[in-house]
Amino acid sequence: MVEKKSYRKWLAGSVVLLSAAILTACGGSKSSSGKQVLNWTTSTEVQTLDTSKVTDASSMDQLNNSIDGLYRLGKDAKIQPAMATSTKVSNGDKTWQFTLRKGAKWSNGDPVTAQDFVYSWRRTVNPKTASEYAYIFEGIHNATQITAGKAPVSSLGIKADGKYKLTVTLDRRIPYFKLLMGFGVFFPENQRAVEKFGSKYGTASKYMVYNGPFIPKGWNGSNLSWKLVKNPTYWDKRHVKLSQINYSVNKTPATSLNLYQAGKLDGTLLDSQAAKNYKGKTGFLIRRKSATQYLSPNLKKDPYFKNLKLRQALSLAINRKALSTTLGGANLSADTMSPEGISKVNGEDFASYVTTPATKAVNSYNPAKAEKLYKEALKELGKSKLSFSLLSYDDDLSKKAVEFVQSQLEGNLKGLTVNVQSIPKKAALAKMVSGDFDVAFTGWFADFQDPISFLDLFTTHNTYNFGHWSNATYDREIAKSKVTADPAERYRILRSAERLLLIQQGSIPLFHADEAWLVRPSVKGIQYNGAGVNYNFKTAYMAK
Amino acid sequence: MARYLIKRVLYMILTLFIVATVTFFLMKLMPGSPYANEDKLTTQQIRIMNVQYGLNKPLFQQYLIYLLGVTHGDFGVSFQYSNQPVASLIGARLGASVQLGLQALIVGVILGVIVGAIAAMKQGTWADSTSTVVAIIGKSVPNFVLAVLLQYYIGLKLGWFPIAGWGTWSQTILPTIALAVGPLAETARFVRTSMVDTLSSDYIELGKAKGLSRMEVVRKHAMRNSMIPLVTLIGPYAVALMTGSMVVENIFNIPGIGEQFVKSILTNDYPTIMGVTMVYSIGLVVILLITDVVYGLLDPRIRLAGSEAA
Repeated sequence: MVEKKSYRKWLAGSVVLLSAAILTACGGSKSSSGKQVLNWTTSTEVQTLDTSKVTDASSMDQLNNSIDGLYRLGKDAKIQPAMATSTKVSNGDKTWQFTLRKGAKWSNGDPVTAQDFVYSWRRTVNPKTASEYAYIFEGIHNATQITAGKAPVSSLGIKADGKYKLTVTLDRRIPYFKLLMGFGVFFPENQRAVEKFGSKYGTASKYMVYNGPFIPKGWNGSNLSWKLVKNPTYWDKRHVKLSQINYSVNKTPATSLNLYQAGKLDGTLLDSQAAKNYKGKTGFLIRRKSATQYLSPNLKKDPYFKNLKLRQALSLAINRKALSTTLGGANLSADTMSPEGISKVNGEDFASYVTTPATKAVNSYNPAKAEKLYKEALKELGKSKLSFSLLSYDDDLSKKAVEFVQSQLEGNLKGLTVNVQSIPKKAALAKMVSGDFDVAFTGWFADFQDPISFLDLFTTHNTYNFGHWSNATYDREIAKSKVTADPAERYRILRSAERLLLIQQGSIPLFHADEAWLVRPSVKGIQYNGAGVNYNFKTAYMAK
Repeated sequence: MARYLIKRVLYMILTLFIVATVTFFLMKLMPGSPYANEDKLTTQQIRIMNVQYGLNKPLFQQYLIYLLGVTHGDFGVSFQYSNQPVASLIGARLGASVQLGLQALIVGVILGVIVGAIAAMKQGTWADSTSTVVAIIGKSVPNFVLAVLLQYYIGLKLGWFPIAGWGTWSQTILPTIALAVGPLAETARFVRTSMVDTLSSDYIELGKAKGLSRMEVVRKHAMRNSMIPLVTLIGPYAVALMTGSMVVENIFNIPGIGEQFVKSILTNDYPTIMGVTMVYSIGLVVILLITDVVYGLLDPRIRLAGSEAA
């Protein structure tokens, strides 16, 4: 009996101690309501703040809110003034002269000058820097030559005339050049800071200088939360309303939804299940991403795919609407390669500008016609049945999509066998580039809002034309679009090229992968842009 | 003992060398490049980058360069996090995983021993069956399911602890519980079985006959002898817990090493893969050594191989 009592006492004592420890731990956590503080989230880590090395969207968002380039991209890629106060274009759109803002400062006190752009661009195209975005400088005089190590870095087509005049020379017309100037890779760099921090430059928020609306604080290189604090020396600080953005990385959408519901976050990405549940509720919105997922039949490895009827049969056998519903979330079924919102032509969306009854007819669901074409194709090819593999990445979305595509193709085209092969991205990509597949399920997202980001892919010699579909008229049209000065004429050419691509089924567009979000209604003024840099918080504020 | 230790350490170094070599060549068999923007680089551009990073050199030369670096304490620079030395990347990330792992291990093992001991002492009663049920649930429910449930009910609905994040001690409580339940269940079953055995031994009967109280018999004799098999269990558990759990770290937004390792493999981040593999291996061999030494200390009957000759 005695032992039992002492044992119970011991147990009771430890319970009391434990609860005390828990209670003390519960203190803290201040509320920030009423202040101009935004609690925001991203789903992946920031990997660098070095504009020459950046590749991922999270890092790009930090840079876009802490550095001003020549221009700043607003909602839906609207050009806003930043470091450039005036722009003069001459020599058939191949010479760009920018006058820079006087009085703009880096966070180390240095003035922002034309030399900062020259330095940054040269550093990015320098093969020693090994920038993964150097390719986007293609078209700027000598950029490709320099990156390949065949021309000196100083021969790049950018030059400073004094402190506030910048001249850029292009080898060819770049119709979306202004959009590129709002892309992080083209932002200026302060030479003194790059040299001072050396190999540490951009690896933590303190090893970097800024000239934009906010200054990152507390990012140590791999942690999951940090702040963007209003920059007191920003040239346009009177238009910056938020005093602080608390950023955190939430890799699990369920976690960020919990944090949103607990009031710790002002926005959250939704997974497909949550997107179904919250559709139409307060705060629900869809972020269009300028991305298209599609099938690429391999015409080089499997010559039977050169049969147009067969390619069209594949396209007609897939119910894209049902596919989008199956995937849930916010994915939009695709009957064009260019996603909705990529560009406006006289106020009309480029995607609808392209669409005709004919393009729609071969990129929508029609199982009866699919079967008819399939039978005809088999007859022409002298085959009685067909079997091929379908290669994809092994992320959840891709796996779900290819399983659905497999069941649709096998269900609607009798005698067809589809073997799904979902493998890790790096391995799948290597197979796609080397042409080791029958049909690839893949996707593309645009770096800038222009249909050419998608249409360039299907020219004969493009690395990412995995299926090796080749059409001389198409190649000619794309080449012509690059030398056409008149924007309306250029869009007409791109339109006819895309129509050709769609009817010839050079690829089989399936859906546009978008994101479903919940954003607190009190958050106003966020400028979102689907391509390149996504979030611009310069004018964001918290309404009372 | 000293000679035994020296021998073990030499074997450890040999083991690590073999691990490094095998990992290096296996890793190079993975297809694809380590570049994050690989989706958009042409074959020509990748070739240019490979020259910059020395990835165009013959494999064996790359291996020698790597080994030379390691002997100088240079593990290279990460590809995912540009310019970040792997050593500092791992350093920053390992801390969170080790802290969480240790907390989970301590909570799991202590509570497991208590639950197991009670079950053994009250064999056949409701306490025993309850502990069995708890152990089965703890063993069969995956820690990430538990993590999600804890986060939703305790974190969001009851609001007792932070939902996620890292920085304050209270933020470690829910992930610690999620990670501790597995070891708790296993320890409890282990201790119960082992203690039931011990309690029926003759020397326990002798202790009782000497007039020792039940508590004293359990504390002085039964406990210590039941603990010996547990040591084998704790070693691997410690490594598994401290190297981090990718899913639990992701759910609770913990900047740990578990996810980093998986991600470095998926992105072909060669230097990070090597770095983390080496850290894991070192952890494992050191803990195995400690386990063997502790064995000898706990049970004088177990003689360390080779120590007789000393």
